[in-house]
Amino acid sequence: MMTKTSMIALVLLIFMGFFPMFVDSAWLAVGTTFLVFSVVAFSQDIILGRAGVFHMGHALFFGLGAYTTAILNVQFGWPILATWAPSVLIPMVCAFLLAGPIIHLKGDYLLVATIGFNIIFIQILENDVFGLTGGPNGIFGIDIVRLFGIQFASQTYMYYMAFILLGITLFIMRNLDKSKFGRAMFYINKDEIAAQSMGISIRYYKLYAFILGAGIAGAAGSMFSVQYSAVSPEAFNVTQSIMFFTIVLVGGSASLPGVLIGTFIMFVLPEVFREFATARYLVFGLAMILTMILRPRGIWPVKFGNIPSFLKKDVK
Amino acid sequence: MSEYILEIKHVSKYFHGLVAINDLSMKVKKGQIYGIIGPNGAGKTTLFNCITGIYTPEEGQILWKGKEIKGTTPFKIAELGILRTFQTIRLFAEMSVAENIMSGRHIKSKQKWYNGIIHTPAYYKDEKENWEKVGELMDFFNLSEYATIPAGDLSYGIQRRIEMARALAAEPELLILDEPAAGLNENETLELTQTILKIQAMGVTIMMIEHDMEMVMSLTEYITVINFGARISAGLPAFVQDDPVVVEAYIGSDEEDEHE
Ligand SMILES: Nc1ncnc2c1ncn2[C@@H]1O[C@H](COP(=O)(O)OP(=O)(O)O)[C@@H](O)[C@H]1O
Ligand SMILES: [Mg+2]
Repeated sequence: MMTKTSMIALVLLIFMGFFPMFVDSAWLAVGTTFLVFSVVAFSQDIILGRAGVFHMGHALFFGLGAYTTAILNVQFGWPILATWAPSVLIPMVCAFLLAGPIIHLKGDYLLVATIGFNIIFIQILENDVFGLTGGPNGIFGIDIVRLFGIQFASQTYMYYMAFILLGITLFIMRNLDKSKFGRAMFYINKDEIAAQSMGISIRYYKLYAFILGAGIAGAAGSMFSVQYSAVSPEAFNVTQSIMFFTIVLVGGSASLPGVLIGTFIMFVLPEVFREFATARYLVFGLAMILTMILRPRGIWPVKFGNIPSFLKKDVK
Repeated sequence: MSEYILEIKHVSKYFHGLVAINDLSMKVKKGQIYGIIGPNGAGKTTLFNCITGIYTPEEGQILWKGKEIKGTTPFKIAELGILRTFQTIRLFAEMSVAENIMSGRHIKSKQKWYNGIIHTPAYYKDEKENWEKVGELMDFFNLSEYATIPAGDLSYGIQRRIEMARALAAEPELLILDEPAAGLNENETLELTQTILKIQAMGVTIMMIEHDMEMVMSLTEYITVINFGARISAGLPAFVQDDPVVVEAYIGSDEEDEHE
């Protein structure tokens, strides 16, 4: 038997799967961007929506993944495939090093600290501190994925690679939510004192969320750099971080459909309304404000109570 | 090892220079139901917070099976087998009853770090066992019909039961109850008394703060009375009940209440 939500998910999956056959290349690029940004939004949601950590520097990890692929490929000549593992692992290690000293901070203090990290990251990129990042212009000429002599160059390939990445991300999110680890994050989010009193280490699970979220964001970053064959600092600045943060809250914290809706509103609708130029952002600002007033838990709020069916037999 | 599972020795705790617990000592025997009474603001909850690691007392020792646990973080205290409920109920309000109780299985779950990303046969076995345990506890506390309901939507009496089920899910050696009968009606209090006896029969040591004298007298084996953070009396329920110092303390606090 299928629930209504999984029906919608299936229809959406089929639609997304056939999407490239109906649209031109401009729209295909929009579709790919939607997929990549969904992955970033989900990774933000692990940290913000599940562990409840007010992290507003997520573009840093997205950017680290993108720059790892760009630098290894362009400066050191690594094939793109070989850059995938480091573009996931380097953000994870950085997440551990950066979040470690600040993870005990309360919401607003931590938020300011993460913004600080993001600003420093952009400064490092723009000033080309290590002589590797290409300064304000970034890095151009990133290769495409090549495997067994096949060149994954077309936008259609890009789309399906992003599609697979989103699939892997959703698979991880589902596994997380059904494990001790995802639940511990929710308990901490809802009541830290109660969670600790049940034997849950706040520090361990918040860091777990940070490291996992950073790794997924890094994978999305790598994909992003290959899609545009270029990276530059402004794609990973604090404004982008604010966008990822907002997507989660507007769509619905810890809600898989909610985060997809949030990403759609923030990244796809602006493309649809492109002819209204910058005035369209006025509408989004208003939409953000209204959502928080009218639906403070998001457009599609998370629903708890996903328990094994043998425990539901007595529920009236 | 001594016959006492928990020993509190000359513990003092200050807030901004004001003494909340003053040179307090007590010993809890394994398997006992130990009562702590005293007027409001006497420092009873603060004592529980010191035992469970929420606060670190400035002076004294807290020995768990002979080992010092003062200053240990709360999650490690829980891992040692000391679980608690709260005077002001602290449930995960938006989460279902079953999920709330599942939090008690956290320290018993054997899932590995990678099971948050990928599931293995060992994960499925562990997950199933823990949910089954949750099911048993929901049966024990008559909560099965609320399994999927958000805990915050349920009545006070039911929430108290969920909190106890959650603590018990961790299979504690010492269960610490902070005013478990507060806000319960007469029937619910009777039911609670029976439940606590059943928990004791499982071999769990219990420490409880309670204002309901009838309940304290019928349940506890030994009582310490606290006033202004210090012990003013201790002994068997019958002794404590008639101790003039205790009577005095309660009358004194009643008068204060009237002035408020
Ligand atoms: N976190 C705290 N900060 C400052 N004072 C506190 C704190 N917790 C408790 N107190 C004070 O300690 C005293 C004892 O409080 P409490 O332990 O809650 O009493 P009881 O549980 O016996 O009613 C009270 O005067 C209370 O105001
Ligand atoms: Mg109290």
